[in-house]
Amino acid sequence: MTILPDVITKSAPKYTGLSRWARLNRNLTLIIPATVLTLLVLTAIFAPLLAPFDPTTGKLTERRLPPAFMEGGSNKHLLGTDNLGRDILSRLIYGGRVSLSVSLLVIAITAIIGTMLGIAAGYLGGRIEGFIMRVTDIAMAFPGLLLAMLLAVSVGPGYWTVIFVLSIFGWAGYARLVRGEALRVRESDFVAQARVNGASTLRIMLKHIFPNILNSLIVIMTLMVGAMILAESTLSYLGIGIPAPTPSWGAMVADGRNDLDRAWWISTFAGIAIGLVVLSGNFLGDWIRDKMDPRLRQL
Amino acid sequence: MARFIIFRLIQTFIALIGIITLVFFLVRASGDPTVLLRNPNMTKEAVVALQQKLGLDKSYWVQYQIYMTDLAKGDLGQSLVRMRPVKDMIGESLPNTLRLGIPSFFIGMVLAVFLGVLAATRRDTIFDNGVKFLAVLGQALPGFWVAIMAMLIFCVYWRLLPVGGIGGPAHYVLPVGTMIFFLLPGMMRLVRSGMLDVLDSEYVKLARIKGLPERTVIWKHALRNALITPLTVTGVVFAGLIGGNIITENIFNWPGMGRMILEATFARDFTVVQSMTLIIAIMVLLMNLLVDITYAFVDPQIRYQTT
Repeated sequence: MTILPDVITKSAPKYTGLSRWARLNRNLTLIIPATVLTLLVLTAIFAPLLAPFDPTTGKLTERRLPPAFMEGGSNKHLLGTDNLGRDILSRLIYGGRVSLSVSLLVIAITAIIGTMLGIAAGYLGGRIEGFIMRVTDIAMAFPGLLLAMLLAVSVGPGYWTVIFVLSIFGWAGYARLVRGEALRVRESDFVAQARVNGASTLRIMLKHIFPNILNSLIVIMTLMVGAMILAESTLSYLGIGIPAPTPSWGAMVADGRNDLDRAWWISTFAGIAIGLVVLSGNFLGDWIRDKMDPRLRQL
Repeated sequence: MARFIIFRLIQTFIALIGIITLVFFLVRASGDPTVLLRNPNMTKEAVVALQQKLGLDKSYWVQYQIYMTDLAKGDLGQSLVRMRPVKDMIGESLPNTLRLGIPSFFIGMVLAVFLGVLAATRRDTIFDNGVKFLAVLGQALPGFWVAIMAMLIFCVYWRLLPVGGIGGPAHYVLPVGTMIFFLLPGMMRLVRSGMLDVLDSEYVKLARIKGLPERTVIWKHALRNALITPLTVTGVVFAGLIGGNIITENIFNWPGMGRMILEATFARDFTVVQSMTLIIAIMVLLMNLLVDITYAFVDPQIRYQTT
């Protein structure tokens, strides 16, 4: 580095400490997403208490009522009603339940499978590694939506079908990351020491490798919240997710598609909800990554 | 190199057979398509006759053998619902899908590389932050919703563009835009971070010391090396683009394969679903093969590993 003349280092940004704005900015990227996600969790838990109306029954006389802030809207239906006269706010609140529970369940399942396969591949190496990583490659390069469609139709759409469909390819990302981490940890002295002391392979993987990859794992799991909510909403949008009349955000966007010219609010609010939550999840994930495992940073 | 390619070709072929078999049995698990086709007045004999006509009365194993033999002869069979050769249906829809997919893929890739490089070389400027913001937003907003909002603005309020269907250049704007939306943010981020890594390397510094013009340093020396990471994920991106294609074609009523496959899946039109997945699988596998071979050219380590 120092051998080179300073012509080259000239372009590198100087570190002058953080300005007040940057410090505020840094805190906001934690506060805002954390608030949004806390609100989501609370509304999901207390949905029956918070929702002003039943999300699945509507009055046909009150179809496509505009939101309260528009002409013709009333405070009764703050965000208006959809094409079956159902209250959109209530459906949004209940829809959050579906999105949140699906994404958390899928993340738990895929993280467990991916971590086990990743550690096995990274620590054991050899043929096992070759086989696991080849399957991982295939799972990552397979158009998941296609299989999701086939499965949804063959098994029938439903809550558990969605979980299954999202899990069947979702583990691959974890497996790839964990393997890389396990490869790194495998070479460290404490693993060699454990081996010398006669620890079994299983014990080394559980007690020595796993705790050392936990940070990276948590970072990826947080970053996955948004991705899974997006995936779930895409399935619901195409009609192969959670079946009607259970409210889900993706299906709500689809509901409003044919009413764009007379009731734009049906599609719009559901999409804003998805975007807001996914954005918050991604920001929170970035923040946790910077705190726990900055090596994963993509610059 | 030749050995490597042959090895990969065989591997691809085996994967293809696996996918065909999986799809064949998966669609059959979805239930009897004649349930959707028959009308309530049909007698039991008529239903059996219909099943016989469609070849669905035989056991799965016999059906599978017939299907594979026909496939080897290049016969894709007849649509169960539309009663016409699948080959003709693909002949109509595949060109439409390519007409949408190819421009989207290339425009998206070129834009991703261009914006990614510009953002990396102007690190922490307004431009860079703008690109980062776009990427973050693009990865958080659902593509189908963005497409619908674009429809709301350009087709419903301003009445500038057609709502759907295929036709003149105006029909391409929104679908191509939506497809690019599925591809651009992730790719842009990868190019940017790859470029930042490379710009920090010794050979870029050396190129600068040699006094090469900055343009040559960036677009020739740095870019070539920065593209290795994006290249490895092109297969994954391509798979994602197929999903994006299914969504886009359904939103904009584009008469391509993406729309046809969703319709056929819901109608349990087995032969159509099988043939469509076959073609998509071939495209995905060939794409991955191409990526692998290109990668092997770039990185000799890989070339010798598998042989």
